[in-house]
Amino acid sequence: MGLRGAILAAAVLLLSSCFAMVRMGPGTVTVRDAITVSSDGGWNRLDVPGGGGGEVWTSDGLSLDVLTFFVAIKDGDPLVPAPMGTRRTPPAFRAAMLPHQIVELFEASATQDGSTFRLERLAPSAFASADGFRFEFSMTRKRDDVALRGFAYGAVVKGKLYLVTFRAPRIHYYAKHLPRAEATVRSALIKP
Amino acid sequence: MIAPRRRRIVLGCGCLALGALAPGAAASGAWHPPARFARPDEASEEGGLWGMFDREEARLRRSAFLVRDKALNDYVTGLACRLAGEHCADLRVYLVRTPHFNASMAPNGMMQVWSGLLLRAANEAQLAAVLGHEIGHFLARHSLERLRDVKSRAAFANFLAIFFAAARAGNVGQFAQLGVLASLFAFTREQEREADRIGLELMTRNGYAPGEAGAIWSQLLEEIKGDAVTYEEYASRSVLFATHPPIEERQQMLSDTAREIGRAEATRVGADSYRAALARHRTEFFGDELRRRRYGETLVLLERMRKAAADDGELEFYRGEVFRMRGEKDDLDQALSAYRHAEALRGAPPELFRSEGLVLRQLNQETESRIAFRRYLELKPAAEDAELIRTYLPRD
Repeated sequence: MGLRGAILAAAVLLLSSCFAMVRMGPGTVTVRDAITVSSDGGWNRLDVPGGGGGEVWTSDGLSLDVLTFFVAIKDGDPLVPAPMGTRRTPPAFRAAMLPHQIVELFEASATQDGSTFRLERLAPSAFASADGFRFEFSMTRKRDDVALRGFAYGAVVKGKLYLVTFRAPRIHYYAKHLPRAEATVRSALIKP
Repeated sequence: MIAPRRRRIVLGCGCLALGALAPGAAASGAWHPPARFARPDEASEEGGLWGMFDREEARLRRSAFLVRDKALNDYVTGLACRLAGEHCADLRVYLVRTPHFNASMAPNGMMQVWSGLLLRAANEAQLAAVLGHEIGHFLARHSLERLRDVKSRAAFANFLAIFFAAARAGNVGQFAQLGVLASLFAFTREQEREADRIGLELMTRNGYAPGEAGAIWSQLLEEIKGDAVTYEEYASRSVLFATHPPIEERQQMLSDTAREIGRAEATRVGADSYRAALARHRTEFFGDELRRRRYGETLVLLERMRKAAADDGELEFYRGEVFRMRGEKDDLDQALSAYRHAEALRGAPPELFRSEGLVLRQLNQETESRIAFRRYLELKPAAEDAELIRTYLPRD
């Protein structure tokens, strides 16, 4: 590929990352036909064409707060698809995984871009009417060096993984959205 | 006095992992380092390029990914300075927490050394070989031709901007991206050969055993072969960029050139001093290494490190972690055996018992897993996951 080719490829990549936003709620919202949550109406769903992985919600914008729903992940499926241009298979969820391993699975996807990850707390917790777990973490985002904080709730129900994570810059945004993000995640119910 | 000559451009980004040597050719005659270079006029093209690197350096200086520990910085900068001689005053070394094998040198004197390289070098002589190679590009001043080779300089500047953005996004360390960049950034074979030659000169003049320059590439190749997908990527890239011969050839050329230089007094390896300098950071660097999930590569790295430190319980713990995280075939049994071996060695962390407990739990050995979890909580009662671990233990 020549120089012009490389620049063109980069330009195409930038333009193709256009996405649509859809306001969520207020009220009960269904996520990927697998769970329902109660939204306060301040969340927007991001639809990225060709974007794999979980369903992404944000209030102030992707750089400032992100709620990600990984729902009904089946045994053998990855949390996020492999990045373009690699034949490497991403780590997959296994129905027999322990919470520590699910944290590691999430960590692998969250650090794919070179960001750091540190588990701050991992404790049992009810989630989606099941016996699950909750963890907290801190990260430094590689792209812009921003220090992030996050929390997540997870549970394996009937062999499928349900994991909802929230992360935001440690300064201001994490505290700003924490109560409503917690309320949204805790309202999750698996659809029968 | 600083010579008022036009500063030439050295584009060292990503070159280390991709540089190559022409077979059978070796520079002859005594090599003398040039005098210090002057900063180019800001209004010149080169000056503009310097400005871009200066801005990138300003960003890097604030980065959370810089390893700021003074002792380690002094150690690496000290080594670079000894190699660079009077050019030391123009170099600034930055240690960057990125778990890939790379170092780079920008035309303005900004040198980046990635933690993945620091973790992989076996001794001071190997690090000296890599730093010497990068300083070689800097000193050789022949790289202005790279800029001249690029037909559209405005496009080149745009490309640099994209490169920096990619570097910030952390993608530069990936083979695929490096491949595309290499086609634009790579020095020619002749330039690589000269940088290697200068690197060998600098390291041997400082008493370092030149054989270690080839050894670090042999080690890297062994790691690459340890992971099927990495090897496939490496092999296919060699075909794609046929102008850049594979590591095998480079390793051979370095060995040949080392023999030619033949300074009998250059025997210093510095394995102990190197391990001591890295000791405080190894845990953090290994955490990043494990996150890459290149299990085969990491196992080769660990095997090599264990040969030099057979009583190191932390290394044995990491070996167990690789098996546990991979979790294929008999990996859980291998993990368990590594953890149990590590228990008897020095320096194994408390997390060893947590991992042992998790593996035993997966293997449905409940009683034994509880013993391991209890041991973990005894050693680390305020552990971040203590609440969850307690749910695995029966209530008293």
